[in-house]
Amino acid sequence: MSVTSTEGGTGLTRLVHHVRAVAVGERTAFSSGTLTVSPAEAHAVLTDPALSDVRVSWASPGDPVRIVKVLDAVEPRTKGPGGGGIFPGFVGPALPQGRGITHVLRGAAVVAAGFLPRAQEAVVDMSGPAAPLSPLGATHNLVVEFTPAEGAAWEAVYEALRKGVLALAARLAEAALGAEPDEVDELPGLPARDDSRGLPRVAAITNLQTQGTFKEVFVYGRSFGSTALPTLIDPNDLDDGAVVSGQLGHPSLKNPTWVFQNHPVVAALRARHGVDLLCAGVVLSPEPVDATNTELVSAHAARLCRAAGFDAVVVTKEGGGNADADMALKMDALEDLGIPTVALYAEMAGVDGTGPSIVVPPTRATAMVSTGNYDERLSLPAVERAFGGDRVDVAGAPAIDAMELPTAVIYSSLSPLGWGRLTCREAV
Amino acid sequence: MTARVVHYINQFFAGLGGEDTASVLPASREGAVGPGRKLQQLLGDDYEIVATVWCGDDHAAGPDVLPAIMDLVRAAEPHVVVTGPAFTSGRYGLACARVAAASAAAGLTVVACMHPDNPGLDEAGTAPVVASGEVARQMGPSLETLAAAVRKVAAGEPLAADDGRVGKIPRRNVTVDQTGAERAVALVLARLGGDREATEVPLPRFDQVTPAQPVDDVSTALVALVTEGALVPDANPDSLESARATRWLRYAVDGRDALPAGEYRSVHGGFSTVWANEDPHRILPLDVARQLEGEGVIGRLHGEYLVTAGNGTSVGNARRFGVEWAADLRRQGVQAALLTAT
Amino acid sequence: MERAGIPTALLCNLTSIAERVGAPRIVPTRGIPYPTGDPSLSAEAERAWRRRLVERGLEAVATAVHGPTIFPMDAAPHGEQ
Repeated sequence: MSVTSTEGGTGLTRLVHHVRAVAVGERTAFSSGTLTVSPAEAHAVLTDPALSDVRVSWASPGDPVRIVKVLDAVEPRTKGPGGGGIFPGFVGPALPQGRGITHVLRGAAVVAAGFLPRAQEAVVDMSGPAAPLSPLGATHNLVVEFTPAEGAAWEAVYEALRKGVLALAARLAEAALGAEPDEVDELPGLPARDDSRGLPRVAAITNLQTQGTFKEVFVYGRSFGSTALPTLIDPNDLDDGAVVSGQLGHPSLKNPTWVFQNHPVVAALRARHGVDLLCAGVVLSPEPVDATNTELVSAHAARLCRAAGFDAVVVTKEGGGNADADMALKMDALEDLGIPTVALYAEMAGVDGTGPSIVVPPTRATAMVSTGNYDERLSLPAVERAFGGDRVDVAGAPAIDAMELPTAVIYSSLSPLGWGRLTCREAV
Repeated sequence: MTARVVHYINQFFAGLGGEDTASVLPASREGAVGPGRKLQQLLGDDYEIVATVWCGDDHAAGPDVLPAIMDLVRAAEPHVVVTGPAFTSGRYGLACARVAAASAAAGLTVVACMHPDNPGLDEAGTAPVVASGEVARQMGPSLETLAAAVRKVAAGEPLAADDGRVGKIPRRNVTVDQTGAERAVALVLARLGGDREATEVPLPRFDQVTPAQPVDDVSTALVALVTEGALVPDANPDSLESARATRWLRYAVDGRDALPAGEYRSVHGGFSTVWANEDPHRILPLDVARQLEGEGVIGRLHGEYLVTAGNGTSVGNARRFGVEWAADLRRQGVQAALLTAT
Repeated sequence: MERAGIPTALLCNLTSIAERVGAPRIVPTRGIPYPTGDPSLSAEAERAWRRRLVERGLEAVATAVHGPTIFPMDAAPHGEQ
């Protein structure tokens, strides 16, 4: 299979390698679908003064394993030896990417798990009823557990983990540089201004949590602050890790780095690009915490979409009720400018599903997608092994026990970016 | 085999009287009573209303009578429980909703019937509710809707908007073929195509509150002060809850022209009560209201104030308080109210 | 209460929520913890403010409205009519 580089073009060629099996060995390697990790090499990559110890283990789909205190997850990707520019601002220099070639190890993830303050308890089951609810239920997860160094500040621990996990993800993908890809995706660049196909230009507004340490998101390695204004970015940049998660709240409503790398709304737009729409861009926006900024950001986002010539927008969020209010304002601001919008909401309809679904719905826009009810309870079976911690505090139980949990605790289960297939339907 | 139906109604439709008998305790009789007879006719031979249970509206099937009502319902061994039609009667609607909710919670097949604006609507728990007309004059068509709904629920079929279903419909998580993102893109294309209706999440229905006629002349009116700021005598003698209040209380202000600090305080859990406790008039403006009454601006100040705590109060309870306050104030001839909210 | 024919002035701070849930007569207050108060004022000024607020509320119950209407202290009543 020949691989055409689109170097110099405006698109990105994504070389996808499927990880079908994993192993631990002396050298990190990828061959015939098997990804082997050398713990010694992994430790070397993860080493940092803020961490006194790190341990890596595989948790694979179908294993009777639970990962608790899940922090972030990253898909192994690289653009060449040493990273080639991947994860700009962290592994690579802080520069726009989204061009040339990117190698992807599909079906694998590097997952940090363990205690950090302000992190809400997040659970992934690799088997059982909760497994299909999380993206990590279907990936071979290299779980990175850690022990903070004595006296290290938690912020330093979190930073060390972030850098280490990104570097490790890039290093793993490097093992596939010489391998024949299983799939080649040619991702187009942004549509030309004079594109004459007469198709509607549809964009994604992606709200990022911007509440400071432990509750922030990084763009090109910089924390996207709460006083930032919405900004336009090429969707292909997301493929190269321009957006990295640094927030630890609301587990089911989490957008981990892995999901930003595989931005579901962008993927859905790309799937129909040139058919009945043009994938016209992504607007990254802060989710301000105060009313004045929220109004400004929403109004500005709408203006930006208008100026960029978008015909319709899909809005997503990160977080709970406050983020809902933000989306409602954006939807209304866009509708006021004549730009139809759809937003992805998770419902908080109570345990029996009869509560009011949406905390703050829009008033002038009406089209909402539901990614499921936060409050509905799940029965999780006992497992043989748990990573990330010994207990699940919200269930008051040892991590390997059978337990009942609200859907709210399953990592990324109500995926605000629309990864999941969960939704709410009216019961009989 | 005929399906056994138990019908819950109120004292009025049971033929006992009106407001004068609104306090009767739960009771039952074999067979259909009042509107139940017409309902029986519409249901036909496959169904039999084996018992009719009623209770006075004043109880609104509250916790003091609900167990007795449910005992009577269960004693008749129903296949289906039917409550109403309650039209827009607030207390009757509440009662129908609660009996329905309790029936559903007990695993019984049930359907309630009331007007969509009935404040009891949201208290039906997971029980389905179908719409009746607004007034009892519309009993005929309301019973037709109800009979059709009874047949459906008895057959285990879901009730939808086309069947007249109104109110909360429990929403359950399901896994579908398309991702949320794919559905969002499809939905936005539908919007672009002009579809303004399509959505996966219906917008919440807020009550249509028809404003009351204004007071003609405040200087001759009886005006009440009411509050959700949880202002109570200092000892909180009746134990008003600080959050998720399940009750409301009344305290006399007759003869008082002030609420001194130290004698009253706010037990509201939803905000810092420091300022309110420094000066209770910041929650209930008795001082200036009494002054205005003295000057003839207000005709007369009602002799007591009504209070609850508006902190995390369920929509259902809040609605119920409103209905009950309205009934209470109206009974005493109050013509206008000032409601302070925190 | 409005449905029962008792015109009711709602004195509250979060007027947008009051509008959204359909309260017909809304008088904006200065703070959540002190609906009929203003601790930033002297006791005398605060009482005068409280009196004006209550008077506005009495105006509201004496005014015909068709939908959620806000009766601010220093401006004409407004709302979607």
